[in-house]
Amino acid sequence: MHAIPQLIASTFLLGGVYALIAVGLTLIFGVMRVVNFAHGEFLMLGMYLAFWAFTLLGLDPYVTLVLGLPLIFGGGWLSYHLVMRPVIHASHNVQVFTTIGLSIALQAVALVLWSADSQFVRTSYYAVVVRGGGVALNLAQLAAFAVAVLFTAALFAFMRWSYTGKVMRATAQDRHAAALMGIDTGRVFALTWAVGITCVGAAGVVLAPIYPVYPSIGLQFVLIAYVAVVLGGLGDMVGALIASLVVAFVEVVGSYMIGTAWKEVLYLLLFIAILVIRPAGLFGQRGAEVIGT
Amino acid sequence: MRGTGPAVAFFVAAALAPVVVRDAFLLDGLILILLWGASAAAWNVAGGYAGQVSLGHAAFFGLGAYSAALLGTRWDVSPWIGLLVGAGLATALGFIIGFLSNRLRGPYFVLATIALSQVLLIVASRWRGFTSGSEGIPVPFRAGFWTLGIADKRVWVYLVLVLAALLYLVQLYLERSRRGYQLAAVREDEDAALSLGVPARRLKVAAIAVSAALTAACGTLWAQYVGFVDPYYVFSVDLSVRFCLAAILGGIGTPLGPFLGAALITVLETSLRARFGGIGAGLVGIYLIIYGVVLVVTMRFAPQGLLPWLGEHLRGRPQPGPAS
Repeated sequence: MHAIPQLIASTFLLGGVYALIAVGLTLIFGVMRVVNFAHGEFLMLGMYLAFWAFTLLGLDPYVTLVLGLPLIFGGGWLSYHLVMRPVIHASHNVQVFTTIGLSIALQAVALVLWSADSQFVRTSYYAVVVRGGGVALNLAQLAAFAVAVLFTAALFAFMRWSYTGKVMRATAQDRHAAALMGIDTGRVFALTWAVGITCVGAAGVVLAPIYPVYPSIGLQFVLIAYVAVVLGGLGDMVGALIASLVVAFVEVVGSYMIGTAWKEVLYLLLFIAILVIRPAGLFGQRGAEVIGT
Repeated sequence: MRGTGPAVAFFVAAALAPVVVRDAFLLDGLILILLWGASAAAWNVAGGYAGQVSLGHAAFFGLGAYSAALLGTRWDVSPWIGLLVGAGLATALGFIIGFLSNRLRGPYFVLATIALSQVLLIVASRWRGFTSGSEGIPVPFRAGFWTLGIADKRVWVYLVLVLAALLYLVQLYLERSRRGYQLAAVREDEDAALSLGVPARRLKVAAIAVSAALTAACGTLWAQYVGFVDPYYVFSVDLSVRFCLAAILGGIGTPLGPFLGAALITVLETSLRARFGGIGAGLVGIYLIIYGVVLVVTMRFAPQGLLPWLGEHLRGRPQPGPAS
């Protein structure tokens, strides 16, 4: 079948961006034990950041990405201290509803600032298609994929080799033991949150030239990220990466076989099936879902 | 009965309101407060008393709304029958979610309920041949009680008041009965409850099924009252959030809390919409900003909700309530 190379290429392009959203989510969960229901809203804010920079300042989204990183990181840091820090030791339900409150407020801020209409970042290379090897790829999608791979690789390297990354992993394993070793876990949580938000915000910036942006767009992407994160095992970054590709594969092949209208049903059913059959995910520790942590 | 004073006052006031008030706007507000309060109370049965926090209750609400609307428009069936069909379907879905609740806890369960309600949203909005797809269904007005074609808002007040009072009594039962105590034990420590011989799994499933059926009943009445069913509204995560927000704000796991929360939210929403609606549609978002901030602040300072918080501060002693 001549469509196979195209399907594989599309899977990787889509999966790369999903991975960038999912690794931030799973990082925050792994270290802080918080499921961030406002994750999609930071993606949406990243897209609007690109939109504003493009329409007001005439900045290309990829320039915005570089210039905006400190801004996104700072926004994440600030939101941690304003919203998350007071409830970091509270129960799951309190944390869930705190992030939901944050999500509602951020969506509403976007609604006030930019209205409910879809906005577009129409770059000059909007419709440019790269061809080669029997495969046609959208240039903006290719760029988004490259950025996603770069970020994910940088995050993995940071977690693996840097001292701070080691400290974060130690906190993820046992926060009390980490505190006893002299690790300032409060700082680790703030940093983790900000890094997770930076990943998803960056994903938003590079998605802006591809998708229209509106205040509630976050939900669409974050649902996919939840599927990937649970499939990979909550808190497992490598698992999230592989699972993002699996979800993208299901979506791409599903769209090809049965049409785009029903593709969401496919991954949601996949999600429910995983939850029923193997809730700990493909690579997660068995039993985690019963303890609820 | 002890402790029911404020609730009796609330329901009596609601029952007397149509006698005194003739203003359609105020009566509409009262109907919505009672309906949202009843929906939040139905959520509270599962989320508060059984401790199974769901963000997919819109699925049940939507099933109730769609069952009555579809049966009514396609086969000319009474919405009362539709209400029963909707409650039946919701109970079946409730059993599925109940089954999941025995396998999943915490965030896993929350995510599963969101996923299920999203599946229903997609089915309702894409299955054009049967549900009219994303256009939604206008509910035809057929005069008469049997067809729920009632123009008089005062009748609607009493109709939803009956549902609201029923929900209050269900919660009161969970507060005071042996089953209710067992459910509280399951919520606080399932393993300890199991070791004492409490049928934890069965109780949780039953609580979720009852919660589902009652939420569907609220959905049917809402759709018949408003006269239109929009899939992107009745199956939305926002609606699920609305139910639990009212319950949490008022007091999760208390019988009157959901009604207090619904009253606060409805009054805030209506007054801000009335104030900003004329200036620009975008400013409606201000109400949602307040709504989100209130949720964050409540979680920070009064995670038990306003009623237990008030009880603690007015009487100077802690009120019994679930540790959320």
